Amino acid sequence: MATKQHDGRPLPTYVETAAEDGHLRSLLNDCVHCGFCLPACPTYQLWGEEADSPRGRIQIVGQLVAGAPVHGAAAEHLDRCLSCLACVSACPSGVRYGEIIEEARAKVERANARPLPKRLGREAIFALFPYPRRLRAARLLLKAAESTGLRKLLHYHWLSSHLPAILMATERLAPPVTPLERLPPRVPARGPSRGAVGLLVGCVQSVFFSHVNAATARVLAAEGFDVIVAKGQGCCGALSLHAGRMDEAARLARKTIDVFRAEGVKLVVANAAGCGSAMKEYGRFFAGDPPYTEPAAWLAERTRDLSELLAEAGPRAERHPVPMRVAFHDACHLAHAQGIRSQPRELLGQIPGLELCEVGDDTCCGSAGVYNIVEPDAAAELGRRKAAAVRATGAEVVVSTNPGCLMQIGAWLGSAGCALPTMHVAELLDLSIRGGEAPRRPLTRPST
Amino acid sequence: MSPAFAPGALQDLERACPSGARPGTEVDTIDGVAPSFLAYPKDTREVARVLKTASSYNLPVVVRGAGTKQDWGTPPERVGLVVDLSQMTGVVEHVSDDLVVRARAGTPLASLAATLAGVRQRLPVDEVVAGSTIGGVVATGISGPLRYGHGAVRDLLLGLTVVRADGTVARAGSKVVKNVAGYDLPKLFAGSYGTLGVMTELTFKLRPLPDQRLFVSASYPSPAEMAPHLAELLRSQAVPAAIEIDRAEPDAAVQVCALVEGRPRPAEVRADLLSRVMRDATVSLEAPPWWGSLPGPVTFKLTGAISAVPSLIGQARNCCAAAGLPARLWGSAGTGVLYLGLPSGTDPEQLASILDQLRTAASEAQGHATVLRAPAKSKATLDIWGPVPGLDLMRRVKQRFDPGRLLSPGRFVGGI
Amino acid sequence: MSPSSPVAAAVKALGSVLRSGALLTDPVELATYECDGLTNFRARPAVAVLATTAEEVAATVQTCARFGTPFVARGSGTGLSGGSVPRSDGVLLVTAKMRSVLSVRPEDQRAIVEPGVTNLAVSRAGAPHGLFYAPDPSSQQVCSVGGNVAENSGGAHCLKYGFTTNHVTGLEVVTPEGETVELGGMAPDTPGYDLVGAFVGSEGTLGVATKVTLRLLPMPEAVQTMLAAFADVDSAGRAVSAIVAAGLVPAAIEMMDALAISAVEAAVRCEYPAGAGAVLIVELDGPRAEVEEGIAEVRRVCEEEGAFEIRFAADNTERAAIWRGRKAAFAAMGRLSPSYIVQDGVVPRSSLGDVLHEIGALSEEAGIRVANVFHAGDGNLHPLVLFDDQVLGEEERAEELSEAILGLCIARGGSVTGEHGVGLHKLAAMEKMFSPEDLETMLLLRSAFDPEGICNPGKAVPTPRLCGEPPRPCQGSHPLQEAGVAEIF
Repeated sequence: MATKQHDGRPLPTYVETAAEDGHLRSLLNDCVHCGFCLPACPTYQLWGEEADSPRGRIQIVGQLVAGAPVHGAAAEHLDRCLSCLACVSACPSGVRYGEIIEEARAKVERANARPLPKRLGREAIFALFPYPRRLRAARLLLKAAESTGLRKLLHYHWLSSHLPAILMATERLAPPVTPLERLPPRVPARGPSRGAVGLLVGCVQSVFFSHVNAATARVLAAEGFDVIVAKGQGCCGALSLHAGRMDEAARLARKTIDVFRAEGVKLVVANAAGCGSAMKEYGRFFAGDPPYTEPAAWLAERTRDLSELLAEAGPRAERHPVPMRVAFHDACHLAHAQGIRSQPRELLGQIPGLELCEVGDDTCCGSAGVYNIVEPDAAAELGRRKAAAVRATGAEVVVSTNPGCLMQIGAWLGSAGCALPTMHVAELLDLSIRGGEAPRRPLTRPST
Repeated sequence: MSPAFAPGALQDLERACPSGARPGTEVDTIDGVAPSFLAYPKDTREVARVLKTASSYNLPVVVRGAGTKQDWGTPPERVGLVVDLSQMTGVVEHVSDDLVVRARAGTPLASLAATLAGVRQRLPVDEVVAGSTIGGVVATGISGPLRYGHGAVRDLLLGLTVVRADGTVARAGSKVVKNVAGYDLPKLFAGSYGTLGVMTELTFKLRPLPDQRLFVSASYPSPAEMAPHLAELLRSQAVPAAIEIDRAEPDAAVQVCALVEGRPRPAEVRADLLSRVMRDATVSLEAPPWWGSLPGPVTFKLTGAISAVPSLIGQARNCCAAAGLPARLWGSAGTGVLYLGLPSGTDPEQLASILDQLRTAASEAQGHATVLRAPAKSKATLDIWGPVPGLDLMRRVKQRFDPGRLLSPGRFVGGI
Repeated sequence: MSPSSPVAAAVKALGSVLRSGALLTDPVELATYECDGLTNFRARPAVAVLATTAEEVAATVQTCARFGTPFVARGSGTGLSGGSVPRSDGVLLVTAKMRSVLSVRPEDQRAIVEPGVTNLAVSRAGAPHGLFYAPDPSSQQVCSVGGNVAENSGGAHCLKYGFTTNHVTGLEVVTPEGETVELGGMAPDTPGYDLVGAFVGSEGTLGVATKVTLRLLPMPEAVQTMLAAFADVDSAGRAVSAIVAAGLVPAAIEMMDALAISAVEAAVRCEYPAGAGAVLIVELDGPRAEVEEGIAEVRRVCEEEGAFEIRFAADNTERAAIWRGRKAAFAAMGRLSPSYIVQDGVVPRSSLGDVLHEIGALSEEAGIRVANVFHAGDGNLHPLVLFDDQVLGEEERAEELSEAILGLCIARGGSVTGEHGVGLHKLAAMEKMFSPEDLETMLLLRSAFDPEGICNPGKAVPTPRLCGEPPRPCQGSHPLQEAGVAEIF
């Protein structure tokens, strides 16, 4: 059997050129078709079909590179990929699947290959999500809907079956509207400073999970970091990048780079797995875009996930007991994309009285950025499976490092009649450091 | 000599087999059927010539090694020629580092064992019928206690040389322990009762001879009382090489004996573990007297899922006790293969009724009941093999390998 | 596929007998099934059936039989010999969706599974009962039981436990004519021919297994894994012989040479002892007392043969660390060379040392590097022939060298495939290992099951001649005869 490995490959750019296809081809060549990725892939687990496996998608991308039209089945199977990158962890040959699917999605995006309703839905999502101001307006609408009972009304059978699936999926997942916790531009370290770190507050995170950001800032400060909440930051571009919307991603990423460069921070902390992994990719992303090559690499090198930073720095603040059984769920973009698995567990292990349970099933929960909105059926099945696995642990609370995962798991636990509270690791650490009471009721609204 | 066979056959057989060919006599009968001729080839080439000659005269051929199991299965319809392999003995190749041996089919199991013991190796196949040759053991697929730990003879057979009905010589498998080149014809030939070809050389995988063998024995008043201990034996991590049962009479106590093989000190630890599982067990260097001995002279074979062994023992008891027959039951509780021995003078109708009941019991246990051996006159009224799943495919296999139906015709399932 | 092609009628008929969604006709989707783990053989099937039940398998095969359409069964597509490469004029029957463990019967030490169930899933199903499924091919988390049955898969531990064929007791099979038959079952020794034994390893040419009954074994009480480093391959080879001569039956004995070690060091930093010309991985399992004495004996033997460093795995993490280098070996070759060929030959264990020298000489002569990774315990060599496909002619020389290595295996009375199977890849090698009579005898079995020749045609056993072509005379001597390992007849 002849297999190929190529070293010293050219780095990609987001501009479509013939060189891009050449690069894609060399990425594809790394795949020896061994199939070790199949059992790791959520959609292969669901359907058992080659075209919905990483190996099959790599084959499809190969067809596109060879000139096959980017429509119908090809676009559909590429869209069904969650980009969870479990396949990357499983691959013995080091295939860089993340890059392959990103470039392939850019092709789908450019070819306008999707049917109209799907296209409109996606446009709507990307007109809203990366923009905190628009999200804040949406939040007010949602709040109004909640207080007038309109939100409940949506679940009447007739209505729910006549509204677009994409809208229902969004509604199902949207968390209860909580008060906005605004952060000052700078949260000073408690005690002697261990340095200044920038905090990415994000787009969806800053509007719907402002309490997680607040907890993150408090924990960092308690651990001795000056937290800089850089002004003017918005979406880091992760959602667009993972969806193959390269120009949009580049625009958002440039802005993020500019904002943090201006602050001159030592490190930038992300508390959402998808954002952190995208920012760590900036260097590669802008490698062929000279004015930004160096700044992008600068930020990429400085990006840390919250758990990564805290585990490396070691605890300083006292931890108070939090006597709870906690199920920990690995966010794919932390475990597979960033290789961060032990750090959050280590942090949880530092909390006295906390009992850590592993979720037996380490498959993606189905959240995957905007996946649970654009591919609601597959996401629902994965959410159901994950909820069952979480339930089997007998835990009292579910903890993860990514807000999207928490929304998804919370919603499906609720559907299964097991409304467990969901918490970000930052919230749990915050609780422990402050010595507060453990939550006794769900933090997310049980879905119907 | 049957006049149905053309004159000149004997002369041609003699030419084909300079090592010896002669007309058949009464003492040469195969399960009651007298052969016309016998040939005594000494190597594969002579076997090939003999079979070619036999096929040209349309002589049905039965193979004989030591002749210890010629009354097994259904009697052959006709026997034109007995190919006697008693001259084809000895080891052809044995590289001890490889733990592999190639030997001629007529080699007695005991003499092979003696040769191998010289280098502290063995073929872990029991000599259930004294005097058996390796060819006979493979052809009938008979297994004994060691099957539990080492597999049946089919699991140890790596390769073979076979002569087809028309004299074509073919090899299958190889002499290395790991090989997936081509179909696993050795498996097809193992247990085929000489109906597909004449095996002339066999290659086996060997195992080191253990330093220590310890027999852990216990006795239980009934199968029901034995059952929980047996289940625990099967789960035990002491890894016995054999788990055997014996019941001398329908209502006698059930004897259970597990064999531990290995290095002396660990073997003791393991035997000790087993004796606790079996409760009130004794550990001995000697096998119990019934170990590895096939009951008879009329023998029925019973198989079933291993959890059904206690109930099979109980049902065998019931049908023998009802008939007032002294019957001995013996077999491998670990693999689910049991043998019931009945007296020689048992009335054929009674035999048929017992077989019927056993068949029902075995079928409930997801196994089969067959007649291994019985007097020729009883066989005529017994359904020797019972229902055979996949019989149609088997007939087609037979038809391809032996289109003229010259190899042991009628001796196997469904008249194959 | 043109509407008038012979297979078109079969596809139309399949559409009417199968549930909607079972039939895959989109060319983009079909192309994802065009090869297995050996990617240099490819064909796009005319149509693929994604079967979910035995009835769908039977309906598909019956339709193929009715129209004389060739069909190929496929499980997870991880084979390494092109055994499940589709036919462009035929139907690909995918069993990957049939992945239910139908029942686990701990009291009978059996599991009954559908063919798409993965090998590892069987052990997982047995684990709560303290049982496991012994054959463990290195693709065990993805390869399917149906594929294991077809290929008679082994694994690192087959030295002690044997192959798939030793652990399958029953099969439900759809024959090439579309009939469903039960072969074997829960109990051993079903009356009649051992068709289970004949079916296992038949590479999908005798029918499609739709239900498989497997033997489960109690998990061993103890496992001990040892890594021994030697200055050269010779001393490591002698240690293997000495372990066997000492009467030990390890679960696995694996060997890697210096070139292979350097590749895995680069890839996974397994930190094998520096300066090793060869390493042995020896694993013993079984009753604790037996394993403890045995491993001490292995250590003594290795030291006597010159092992300069010996490590034991204290726990599962250390055990995994020792195995990591071995398991990464194939994938790690990319660190040494842009391309490589994996060979799969077997020699008698006692000639390992000599054969390795001969491979070394061939490699030097051809100017092509060969890394050796192998199951030393059972003589199964996986020479990795390294080449650069950008260098003109190097691929051809690598192919020649790879063929020459197989020649060495045949000359020693070994086999041209120990575990990867014949498929399409080793068809030519079969003619070197076996005589025309041997092959013709194998084809008797095939034609009994598949008289029309529609079931995975052209694989596993070479078809010596076309229909109507006169039988060719037997030329030359038997390869085994030439090798001096078989008598002349």
